Amino acid sequence: MSRTDAVTRILFESFSTAEVRLFYALGYTAIGIFCWGVYVQIRKYRRGAALILDGSLWSRAGDMVGKILSHRTVDRRDHAAGGAHRLIFYGFVLLFLGTATITLQYDILEPLFGIRFWQGEFYLIFSLVLDIAGVAMLGGLLYMMYRRGWMRLPKLDYTRPDRSPGDPDFLRPEYRREDWAFLWTLVIIGFTGYLLEAARLVWLQSRPDVWDTRWWSPVGAAIAEGLGAAGLTAQGGGVLRFSLWWFHGMLALIFIALIPFTKVKHIFTAAASLMVRDPKASQRLPRVPETQATPGVAKITDFTWKQLLNLDACTKCGRCHEACPARAVGAPLSPRDVILSLREFANATLESGTLPPAAELGVHGKSPGQVAMETLWSCRTCMACVEICPVAVEHVPIIVQMRRKLVEDGAMDPLLTKTLQTIHKTGNSFGESKRKRGSWTKALPFKVKDARKEPVDLLWFVGDYASFDPRNQKVTQIFAALLHEAGVDFGILYDGESNAGNDVRRVGEEGLYEVLAESNIAALEKATFKSIVTTDPHSYNTILNEYPDFGGKYEIQHYTSFLKKLFADGKLEVTRPLKLRTTFHDPCHLGRFNKGYEAPRDLLNLLGCELVDMKRCRANSFCCGAGGGRIWIPDPVGSEKPAQNRMREAAAIPGLEVYVVSCPKDLTMFEDALKTTGNEGKFVVKELIELIREAVPARQTETLPA
Amino acid sequence: MKILIAVKQVAALDEDFEIRADGRGVDEEFLIRDLNEWDDYSLEEAVKIKEASTAPVEVVVVSVAPEEADEALRKCLAKGADRAIRIWDDGMEESDPIAIARVLAAVAKSEAPDMLFAGVQSSDQSFASTGIATAAFLGWPHAAVVSSLDYAPGAKSALFRRELEGGLLHEVEIQCPAVLTIQLGINTPRYASLRSIKQAAAKPIEVKTLADVGLSAGDAGESGSHSRIRRMCIPDKGRAQLIEGDAAAQAARLAEIIREFKGDAA
Repeated sequence: MSRTDAVTRILFESFSTAEVRLFYALGYTAIGIFCWGVYVQIRKYRRGAALILDGSLWSRAGDMVGKILSHRTVDRRDHAAGGAHRLIFYGFVLLFLGTATITLQYDILEPLFGIRFWQGEFYLIFSLVLDIAGVAMLGGLLYMMYRRGWMRLPKLDYTRPDRSPGDPDFLRPEYRREDWAFLWTLVIIGFTGYLLEAARLVWLQSRPDVWDTRWWSPVGAAIAEGLGAAGLTAQGGGVLRFSLWWFHGMLALIFIALIPFTKVKHIFTAAASLMVRDPKASQRLPRVPETQATPGVAKITDFTWKQLLNLDACTKCGRCHEACPARAVGAPLSPRDVILSLREFANATLESGTLPPAAELGVHGKSPGQVAMETLWSCRTCMACVEICPVAVEHVPIIVQMRRKLVEDGAMDPLLTKTLQTIHKTGNSFGESKRKRGSWTKALPFKVKDARKEPVDLLWFVGDYASFDPRNQKVTQIFAALLHEAGVDFGILYDGESNAGNDVRRVGEEGLYEVLAESNIAALEKATFKSIVTTDPHSYNTILNEYPDFGGKYEIQHYTSFLKKLFADGKLEVTRPLKLRTTFHDPCHLGRFNKGYEAPRDLLNLLGCELVDMKRCRANSFCCGAGGGRIWIPDPVGSEKPAQNRMREAAAIPGLEVYVVSCPKDLTMFEDALKTTGNEGKFVVKELIELIREAVPARQTETLPA
Repeated sequence: MKILIAVKQVAALDEDFEIRADGRGVDEEFLIRDLNEWDDYSLEEAVKIKEASTAPVEVVVVSVAPEEADEALRKCLAKGADRAIRIWDDGMEESDPIAIARVLAAVAKSEAPDMLFAGVQSSDQSFASTGIATAAFLGWPHAAVVSSLDYAPGAKSALFRRELEGGLLHEVEIQCPAVLTIQLGINTPRYASLRSIKQAAAKPIEVKTLADVGLSAGDAGESGSHSRIRRMCIPDKGRAQLIEGDAAAQAARLAEIIREFKGDAA
């Protein structure tokens, strides 16, 4: 046996049996407290409503592991934090695996089977790897301290937009204390680990198997050299090692015991949240089960266990807070604080042994932990928060579930109440007569087929704004002309079409949504067509993703991808290229919801336009403020509107000529915001369809009239 | 305790409506039907009284109308009414407000409520007389245009305010049972979610004939009425015109019109 074959670290070296027993007793106590904490948390989640996940657990687990190992979701839009967290994560995992390896040998394999492997070369490499892991972890932690202490990032400011100074839960200093305690505990554990390593080296410097292999623990060895130079004797090293051993060990045990009771639990809850995420959370909202007496969420226990778990997964990273358009314009909403508020509420009510009476479980209101209706109604359901959350917290479905309860109680803006009644009565939000839905076709020099009366290839679902809003009607007419000129066999449903219901559903009026969806599906079933096209991303989203739940499965395209195909097939041709400097606004429902980022950009490129993207584009596109029914609720006077915020962003692009939109509501919102931000005359807002018309001049041919 | 609410399903005009062939009304096809707006407020007032009361209160809505009014009655049930009654019989189409009131009074006699609410008027016919005529048939005290109400179910009297011209208010004490016609704005009517409307669809509506409430054919319809609609007409078009063009052109044209009216030479 060569000299290095036997090298290892003797555990509990020079400890008395009593001391070893004491350590084991404390260790088991820590594990006991940990298990109790886990039980309490699981009991809390189980007090939520039932939910059956679809998809296999294996693929869910695979997806979760992939996300965690790659740190893809943590890295997005904040590479520094992502990198630092990656260092902490991998450092921590390696150190944990190291400890587990020792346990495997010392408490399992050796006593049971006499197997020893933690020695020799393996031990030396093990020492080196763990020393490096410690450096990685400490480096990451120190950067995180720098972020919290010196960078003063607005997203890490815990003051709440939905509370006022003086409210008990406005500042929440306990969150800051917890953050720092977490960082310091890990830093001290890591640092004392190195010191302990160094003290042991000094103590055992006379043993060649220890001293000669010391550089396999480079950090420990370097500190040991320093301690030696400072005059620490072997005996002194022994004393230091003994006291540090207990200090380091106790701190680690306390850390383990406290995991389920502190933010450290995100190690488990974030992973679990990623695993149970709803891949379609952005596109389709859950139905109200037939068996449910009242729709939506009134009590904390009305949330599903998955949603309660979501609350615990939040790490307060503030990315949703930063992305939220309502928060950006000073509305009393931060998605982060909705989650944290509900979490505080769940912890206060659901962690005790017995469940408090139902009267104490109401989550609506202004008391600490509750969510105010002003907060819920501020949401645009633009999904920016859900999209960016690194741990798959699904805020918007939570908000909509709470709104469903508000709608049931009639707790909403009177104008919204009126609009919902109007939609129920007339099938559209404009309060226009059903029979006028197809009136825009009268100005065309050709007849638009009634798809209910004759078969068509393409069924065009027009939508409310494109049908009734006078400004949008012009765009609608151009699109009809383009289809006609390209020789597309298309038709519409005329008065058989109703509001698609996308926004009604996001308001939380599920009953009305069902009526609209069922009525549209019935109308579509009566028509003969191959596929659907729409210029309205809202209709597109709900028909594509939500109608299938009601039995309506259709092939549907947004007009951008449809027109792109017409160009590719040579049915349309750019004869007058536009040399315009443009920027493109990704509509929430086309971009973030359904990943339709490329087709509109390809079209702009085809038209010969120069495209300068805004900083907030694609997945991070900034909502115009109209979503979630907010187009029917007036914004407070005197405060900035999201559309104005966006116009200012666009105005910063030098030489911008056209702000291009591809959604009827965007056209309405941004043409207004262009004026109210004083940018009129500097650039214009146009529908992509209008630009296409400019580049593809109308054919003066066979079209004329019916 | 019981509060009876007289409600009506009214008709609103659709765009580009046409007058019926007999010239006495609008073609059915161009009408959008809904619960009369005033009745929404009187129902809300009753439901609020019920919710605030410790003693049980029954809120009963009644409509003298054909089957199509069931939709409005269901909306009332969705908003918190406990029962709905609809009275209809052959030959009742030509009933005027007095005839309707006679039927309502008959229902009130058999239901024996502590209070009867009606809307000030209906938005489609605007007679503003049904509620008060019902009080006359019952011989109950009555008041119109009630804009705030303080009433505890079962109390001998109620205190209320009613709107007068020029922003004045009357504060009135009235003996119960009484008939009050309720003005818009007395409260904020609740939203009936589609879910609650659907659930109300399962609730029964008590359908009765004239005989069921102790009346005969002559009490309603044309023979029971004192007035008859002869014709519906559309007034001649006014001289409104839309001025088109940019702001400057519009202003110039406007100035020209004003000069024309003043008789100034252009």
